[in-house]
Amino acid sequence: MKKKPVKPKISRVAPYSSAHKKYLQKQRNDKIFVLIMQIMLLVLAIGLWELLAVTNVVDPFFVSSPSRIFKMFVSLVASGTIWKHVGITLLETIIGFLIATFGGTLIAILLWWNQKLRRILEPYIVVLNSLPKIALGPIIILWFGSGMSAIVVMCILITIVLTTISMLNAFNSCDADKIQLLKSMHANKFQIFWKLILPNATDEFISVLKINVGMSWVGTIMGEYLSSSAGLGFLIVYGSQIFKIDLVMTSTVLLCLLAALMYMAVCLIEKIHSR
Amino acid sequence: MSKLLSFKDVNFFYQTKAEEIQALKDLSFDIDYQEFASIVGPSGCGKTTILSLIAGLLEKSSGEILLDGKPIQKNDSRIGYMFQRDQLFEWRTIWQNVTLSIEISKPKNADQKKELAKELLKKYDLYDFISSKPRALSGGMRQRVALIRTLVMEPSLLLLDEPFSALDFQTRLNVCDDVYGIIKNEKKTAILVTHDISEALSMSNKVIVLSSRPASVKHVQILNLNGETPLSRREAPNFGELFDLIWKTLTNEKETC
Ligand SMILES: Nc1ncnc2c1ncn2[C@@H]1O[C@H](COP(=O)(O)OP(=O)(O)OP(=O)(O)O)[C@@H](O)[C@H]1O
Ligand SMILES: [Mg+2]
Repeated sequence: MKKKPVKPKISRVAPYSSAHKKYLQKQRNDKIFVLIMQIMLLVLAIGLWELLAVTNVVDPFFVSSPSRIFKMFVSLVASGTIWKHVGITLLETIIGFLIATFGGTLIAILLWWNQKLRRILEPYIVVLNSLPKIALGPIIILWFGSGMSAIVVMCILITIVLTTISMLNAFNSCDADKIQLLKSMHANKFQIFWKLILPNATDEFISVLKINVGMSWVGTIMGEYLSSSAGLGFLIVYGSQIFKIDLVMTSTVLLCLLAALMYMAVCLIEKIHSR
Repeated sequence: MSKLLSFKDVNFFYQTKAEEIQALKDLSFDIDYQEFASIVGPSGCGKTTILSLIAGLLEKSSGEILLDGKPIQKNDSRIGYMFQRDQLFEWRTIWQNVTLSIEISKPKNADQKKELAKELLKKYDLYDFISSKPRALSGGMRQRVALIRTLVMEPSLLLLDEPFSALDFQTRLNVCDDVYGIIKNEKKTAILVTHDISEALSMSNKVIVLSSRPASVKHVQILNLNGETPLSRREAPNFGELFDLIWKTLTNEKETC
């Protein structure tokens, strides 16, 4: 019984037998195959798009083309304006994301702590959750002006309610026997929360983080559509108004990349946590 | 031997929206110092309720519960409660699990208790795992960790609520032996709640048979089976006879569930 605990690790070094070697080889081949197919799919899509646009099968005025997007990107970088737009949208999203995630969790803590308060507020939370937040757009602009703060508020509104609901659910679904165990050790409420309820909800918190990355982008872009003078959402709306489809497409592609990057950052946090 | 714990005509009611559920009815029994008592009874009869009352997690409706001759207090640190399933915290290391109660009650002799924890872990072959997470341990090892976590506070009375029910039969026999050995070694008094008559017979010197809900004592059987360990007691000549006796007492009522 006196053995060092061995962590199950995928061996990258010595294969144990020829069968194992074969298995590892197959795994590696499969991985490479999937990657190649993914890249090919992208190249194919871009190539087809370019081809259709160049041969005028589709009108580049309406659908743009990869080369036009690239040219637009280069000119935006050259003029330096793109960084301002990217920066503003990114800032709005990150601020909204952070406030919504931590604020929502904080509210959930409050509601867990005071179950009576939770019961009182429950119907309002349900209504808030089912309300399409975009409907509040005009009110937000009236109250917060038409600048960055209105956009951040939009982003928070979209993200925060679900954060509170999910975290509260996670807090409340803690194993009752574990709570009893701590009570039998004479733990107070704060200790029960700090030692059990909160760490028990980390998995849920990480999945909330992942969902919130997506939600906060939705919130920010929606806010920028409503009213803004800068940002990627602004560029998209502006581009469509002046029929510069290249600008619209370029901004959209950038948006995809940024959202993916932020999602990957959260995945990284998850990886570090699960180690 | 003198009494460590005694129940005198204890009644307990659960209050629910629909009705008042009587879980215990005029329940009386005694537990002596360094005794190993088992409580068996039909499922849902009120066994966990009894342990929760002793641990101060519930308040009796009427009657008397005395510990060392005095009414039992909430937050009595002489009682250690070991739950069904090990209830280890997966995000904590074994060491952090074992010292959880020290962290919570912050006793003055915390260092001394940590030493005790170390000793117990060493003694029961778990010291190499102190920085592992519970998922790296087998079911039996986890159960021992849970027991050590309970022992660290040096309770004089241990409450064990079906601690082995999640284990497979083979592991269960071994863990019974382990846990029994640890409890006897550390000279503790223990109350074991179990569904399993043979487990009750092999581990204890007294079996309290309960009626179905509301629980009252149907029969108390004092045991003197030959054998040093639970496993060896299962081989005792009168084991089967006692098993039949308890089985009959348990089942000779119509409303068993
Ligand atoms: N919180 C509660 N509210 C209402 N009724 C309860 C509550 N807890 C337990 N009961 C009821 O009280 C009775 C006794 O419960 P208890 O948990 O003590 O039984 P048990 O003997 O430990 O059962 P098991 O063998 O299933 O572990 C059961 O019929 C149960 O339905
Ligand atoms: Mg029970």
